[in-house]
Amino acid sequence: MAAVAIHQFAQCITCHAWSPDHSMVAFCPNNNEVHIYKLVREKWEKLHVLYKHDQIVSAIDWSLRSNKIVTASHDRNSYVWNQEGSEWVPTLVILRLNRAALCVQWSPKENKFAVGSGAKTVCICYYEEENNWWVSKLIRKKHNSSVTSVAWHPNNILIATTSTDGKCRVFSTFIKGVDARATGISSSNDAKFGEQIVQLDLSSTWTFGVKWSPSGNTLAYAGHNSMIYFVDDVGPSPSAQSVAFRDLPLRDVLFVSDRMAIGVGFDCNPMVFAADERGIWSFVRFLDERKIAPSSSKYSSQFSEAFGKLYGQPKHGMNNDTHDSSRHRGGAHENCITCIVPMITAGDTVAKRFSTSGLDGKIVTWELDNVTDALR
Amino acid sequence: MANSLRSYLTCIRNTLDAAMCLQNFPCQEVERHNKPEVELKTSPELLLNPILICRNEAEKCLIETSINSIRVSIKVKQADELENILAKKFLRFLSMRAEAFQVLRRKPVQGYDLSFLITNYHCEDMQKHKLIDFIVQFMEDIDKEISELKLSVNTRGRLVATEFLKQFI
Repeated sequence: MAAVAIHQFAQCITCHAWSPDHSMVAFCPNNNEVHIYKLVREKWEKLHVLYKHDQIVSAIDWSLRSNKIVTASHDRNSYVWNQEGSEWVPTLVILRLNRAALCVQWSPKENKFAVGSGAKTVCICYYEEENNWWVSKLIRKKHNSSVTSVAWHPNNILIATTSTDGKCRVFSTFIKGVDARATGISSSNDAKFGEQIVQLDLSSTWTFGVKWSPSGNTLAYAGHNSMIYFVDDVGPSPSAQSVAFRDLPLRDVLFVSDRMAIGVGFDCNPMVFAADERGIWSFVRFLDERKIAPSSSKYSSQFSEAFGKLYGQPKHGMNNDTHDSSRHRGGAHENCITCIVPMITAGDTVAKRFSTSGLDGKIVTWELDNVTDALR
Repeated sequence: MANSLRSYLTCIRNTLDAAMCLQNFPCQEVERHNKPEVELKTSPELLLNPILICRNEAEKCLIETSINSIRVSIKVKQADELENILAKKFLRFLSMRAEAFQVLRRKPVQGYDLSFLITNYHCEDMQKHKLIDFIVQFMEDIDKEISELKLSVNTRGRLVATEFLKQFI
């Protein structure tokens, strides 16, 4: 298992998403645009630039089946982009937000999507054909702070959210006329729209990157206190496991399979977590072998130079013996990883390929030869 | 370098490494704004506990962290009045040129001599370990610089006095 492709697309990438066949990638280069690149004869070519937002785009999701892109931005808006011919045409989304939209995800059936916002609300949006726009229903007054991420349960009804108030919550999003009452005996389907199924108060600080496992039995999210939480039996009596690790906190989590998850974050190196036969989760290893960079004794940052200039004398060679600089982050990523996206086709349950992007502007594709390989 | 200074700086370096986990975070209170939360302090849940690292009463470092910004305030050793005035003048000189340093705050936090304000934008543009190196290097050099200045002021004072008193011989 290793990084199979590394490509530097921009100075800094906030989020990215793959087209259903993985030939195109959409990402935000840390500004108000969304760039779409296509791999043509082993070279990435810029095909489209989506201009519509006027502040930084915080999240992108590309639907697997319907080939629609949804974007969310700090300018309080969200758009659904449809490919018509060679053009991407935006459709208005009535979010009714008065703060930034922070995260967005298509529901598994792709008839709804969820937007988490800085207004402490979650918008569940669905298409209204009469007006040709997406309208939203809001889950209000449940969060005490910004909603940092949202995740859909495979049943298309339940949604999990994490927030900077340190809680993880699960809501029902049943919308009459959009969702059909399931004939199954799933108790969660009886809940009304916006009803809180469970509130998990495990973390003492901000929580990020909530995800459901492919089967929908396990929920995982990361806390800013360098912990990752795994919750089974989400319902009236959930059972939770907290896994602490020694490195910097995670920003996002991805389930590769039901028993294995990858966490990415400030440590610039994806971490593998796995459950053993008894279902006990633990940290396994770093995905990327850390290269030990030779510690440079000479500082060459522009600061030191400016500093030296201000002093009127060079100050470089003076600190040879003091200390070696903090951990060099040699590896696929050189800065915080903010986003991890599975590269699956419709119907897949195991994500053998996935990609990560971060503040260093690279998109790195990783491949798992087989799932047990990662455990070694 | 004295051993106590080394452990003081190592402690600051490790604390900064853990604390400097910043991300872009839009303001929750004001529409379409994006401000360093550590300065505004409007949402208490977005702030982490501040950390105070002291070498002794005169030398300390306060690290305040929030979701999208971190503020590092340092107090420099001032043993006597001469060091006091040298440090004041020198740090004022630096603060007036805060733009050149990007991460320097124009005004120090009350009770401290110099403050740095690092936001998520700095972490996007610059490498985190270089930023930390810069701050630690800065703290290391500032003491050296002030004792050097003090020495040269004393030397010059002695020289001037000798020259002045020669006329009475």
